[in-house]
Amino acid sequence: MSAYTISIVSIIGINVILAVSLNMISGFCGQISLGHGAFFGAGAYAAALAMFATANVPLAVVAGVIAGSLLGIIVGFASLRVRSDFLAVTTIGINFLFVGFVRKQSWLGGEMGISGIPPTGLGAAGNMVMILLMACATVALSLYVSRSWMGFAFRAVGEDEQAATTLGIGAGAYKLAAFGIGTALAGLAGALYTFFTQFITVDAFDFIFSVMLMAMVVIGGIGSTWGVVTAAVGLTLLPEAIRFVNDYRLLVFGGMLVLVIRLAPGGLAGLTRNLFDRVRQA
Amino acid sequence: MYYIDLAVTGISFGCMYAMMSVGLTLVYGLLRILHVAHAAVFALGAYATVLAANATGSLALGFLAAIIVTPLFGMAIYRLLYEPLLGYRPDVPMIASVGLLVLMQDAFRVVFGEQGVTFRRNAFSFTTFDFYGVTVSAVQIALVVTAAIVFLGLHLFTTRTRIGVGWRATVSKPRIAASFGVDPIKVRYLNFAIGSALAAIAGGLVALLNNLVDPAIGFVVSYKALAIIVLGGLGSVRGTLIASLVLGLVEAYGTIFIGAWLDRDAIAFLALIILLMIRPQGFAGARAA
Amino acid sequence: MLRQRFKSSASGAKALLGFASAVVLLGAITATPALADIKIGFQVPLTGPAATDGKSAQIAGEMAVEDINAAGGVLGQKVQLVTYDDQAKSDQAIFTANKLIGEDGVKLVVNGSYSASGRAAAPVFQKAGVVMISAYGVHPDITRAGDFMFRLVHLGPPQGAATALYVGQTLKLKRISVITMDNDYGQATMDGFVGASSKYGIEVVNKYSYSLKDRQFGSIVASVKRDNADGVYATGYFFTGGPLVAQLRAAGITIPIIGSQAFDSEKFIEIAGPAAEGTYIIDSFDRERKDEALQKFFAGFKQRAGYAPEGVAAITYSAFKLMADGIKRANSTEPKKVRDALAATKDFPLLEGNMNGFNSLHEIIMPIHVNEIKDGKFKPAGEIDDLNAFAPPEK
Repeated sequence: MSAYTISIVSIIGINVILAVSLNMISGFCGQISLGHGAFFGAGAYAAALAMFATANVPLAVVAGVIAGSLLGIIVGFASLRVRSDFLAVTTIGINFLFVGFVRKQSWLGGEMGISGIPPTGLGAAGNMVMILLMACATVALSLYVSRSWMGFAFRAVGEDEQAATTLGIGAGAYKLAAFGIGTALAGLAGALYTFFTQFITVDAFDFIFSVMLMAMVVIGGIGSTWGVVTAAVGLTLLPEAIRFVNDYRLLVFGGMLVLVIRLAPGGLAGLTRNLFDRVRQA
Repeated sequence: MYYIDLAVTGISFGCMYAMMSVGLTLVYGLLRILHVAHAAVFALGAYATVLAANATGSLALGFLAAIIVTPLFGMAIYRLLYEPLLGYRPDVPMIASVGLLVLMQDAFRVVFGEQGVTFRRNAFSFTTFDFYGVTVSAVQIALVVTAAIVFLGLHLFTTRTRIGVGWRATVSKPRIAASFGVDPIKVRYLNFAIGSALAAIAGGLVALLNNLVDPAIGFVVSYKALAIIVLGGLGSVRGTLIASLVLGLVEAYGTIFIGAWLDRDAIAFLALIILLMIRPQGFAGARAA
Repeated sequence: MLRQRFKSSASGAKALLGFASAVVLLGAITATPALADIKIGFQVPLTGPAATDGKSAQIAGEMAVEDINAAGGVLGQKVQLVTYDDQAKSDQAIFTANKLIGEDGVKLVVNGSYSASGRAAAPVFQKAGVVMISAYGVHPDITRAGDFMFRLVHLGPPQGAATALYVGQTLKLKRISVITMDNDYGQATMDGFVGASSKYGIEVVNKYSYSLKDRQFGSIVASVKRDNADGVYATGYFFTGGPLVAQLRAAGITIPIIGSQAFDSEKFIEIAGPAAEGTYIIDSFDRERKDEALQKFFAGFKQRAGYAPEGVAAITYSAFKLMADGIKRANSTEPKKVRDALAATKDFPLLEGNMNGFNSLHEIIMPIHVNEIKDGKFKPAGEIDDLNAFAPPEK
């Protein structure tokens, strides 16, 4: 396996974790979050600091998870307070705040970022395996949650909060749970990203990145774990496959995004479902 | 004088935000879509102004070109992108809108170049007036005056003309308006046309203010405008106007007093989040246009 | 929020098919076979916020390779450029570095991108034993990654220190307001200035900062006006510096303005218009130097790009020329030999002037040129040649 393949596979794994975790918040529970990059970034910075302090990989992972979910639960409380329209904009705000704050913090490296982060000692291939294992675990968790009582409750809250309440499902607790789990996983992804690059700057966690994650969820099909995984892999590979159009990268990416949503707003999951339906009818 | 200088900066920028955001809030009021690509309309307006002005040598013709081109673009966005997506969750058209903005920003770069475009022979950008030590540029004055005219005109239009009243009614009470014979589809086109033209004027004025139109020009206002319309109570023109001016001022003072630990974009969103926690329903709360 | 039924749509399926076939097609095109020339890898930001500089660097890089090949290539072989877009982002830089090493088998690389890219790519290239010249990445970490790394631009802190020397001793200004652009380049350069300022009797009155996206500086301008300083020093790019200088002048501020290296572009003068007059630009390249290569490059670039080359273009062009010279002197494309040849560089003619050589950390040693804008043109305003005053760090 070439170094290039290893780095691509690693970043695919990280993006899968991010997209699947966002899908738990926005897909399962219907809480639109456009600030996933902030939780990802919080995890990355926490893991970087932990690596400098202890050079202990499991500890750095835990630090990333805690940082991501702490910030996530704070935003979760906000989601209880504001109505859903405002939540999307609030989460955008969280993302800009995170970036704007870190930019100015010299103890976090400010604009310079943090470089020379101690390596995990597993090597690039070892890191990749770790990332892939975590990605598989995340997908498994997502599938499990979607079939569990909790997944049912998430969907009930996402579809109709009042109806869910009458069924005795405490909407608030489940929203918080969705934010807590989803952002903890984003923090995990952040820690893995830190291991992968050993150099982080705040620009990697900006709002455009959050939008790309949401694009993966929407293109994959909101709420569908497998659809989202497929989209995460596809959208990560796409710019690599079409790198020869160097000059038109964002143009093509934006265009794809618009076209897929415009022509197949149910995403990949919706498309395959339709195909199955048609086959059955035929 | 110093604080007045800052206020001038804040108010003139607030006026720009207001002209940019009003189209956004109207689209939300009517269709429940966060029209992020409005920033691309704004940028298109800036490009149209500078290119037409350079081609004809007349700034007036530049602005005229902008307010002709952008409503067409805005209406096309509605017809081709949003209308087919109206039946879906509101985040679906919003993501499409973000995709369109990313596409357009890169398209501007590809078509008009990375280097950006500046006005040729444009003394207007460099004209300033001194009022007892307070410096005000001609463009800043133009921003405030234009915004005043625009909002007064908008007010008269929505209270004195038949179309305008129908428009306002459709935004606040769509069913009742329809039963009175207002065509909701026409209202939507009108909405996009007017909102886009206003964004274009704002874009053209910012182009003059910077004497530079580069592909990033829309970015400064794109996401901040979302914060503004939420602060303004989504769908409320009056609320948006107030929120824009407040944000302009908060930024003007905030850049100096809290700039050491937070950057300017973050200031807007910090204000947003604090206000939302205190008043979850937004600034104005009023829903009428 | 209700999750609605997904509409069935034949057009949707068609779109997906189109999407898939496009990916396959694109994949096929990228897999063109490689030629047996000397390949030089080239990382440039072609999209994203750094695309302005990336485009200039790309054109300059292509021109350099054409010129080298037109002159018979190197060691009898043609030079082939392998260009990748890194968006000036660290993760993209790691990708493209791995791709250059693994897929393209490149041994020599010019990084024509910002520090975020150079810092991330440097350890990757170092580990693979690939020679990298960073054309204009100013962060110290790049050369610290190891002995295969070279840099052709003055580090941020030495640039800042040289600026302090010029401001304090040549311009004799004492009280300075400073304005920093919020990125690593802006911050590193400003740190150098502030650190050295007291040595030349300069008092920093106030510090302000702005983001890369800002074009409006009303609050900063008002504050500078109140500071009542002797001069303003600002770091930034021409597309931020242009509007900044215009707005400072519009507010009636007449004190000298000193700009950092990346103000260096004709576009700066175009944006700021008459307000650009009298602005000093530190480490800006001397366009009037009687040098055939420079004048030829100037005319060629202008014809090709439609605008005049800025510092970024000149330095990137020089980076390729130096790489070719290194190969020639090493008489081999073996990275270790090229590295040693480059490290031994003495008095090499860059487009910006003569470079003395590299220090132990492979940082460039050469005087810094200053321009002043006069009558809408870049005019020489002296050299800062006290090399010890802004010596880069050693290994």
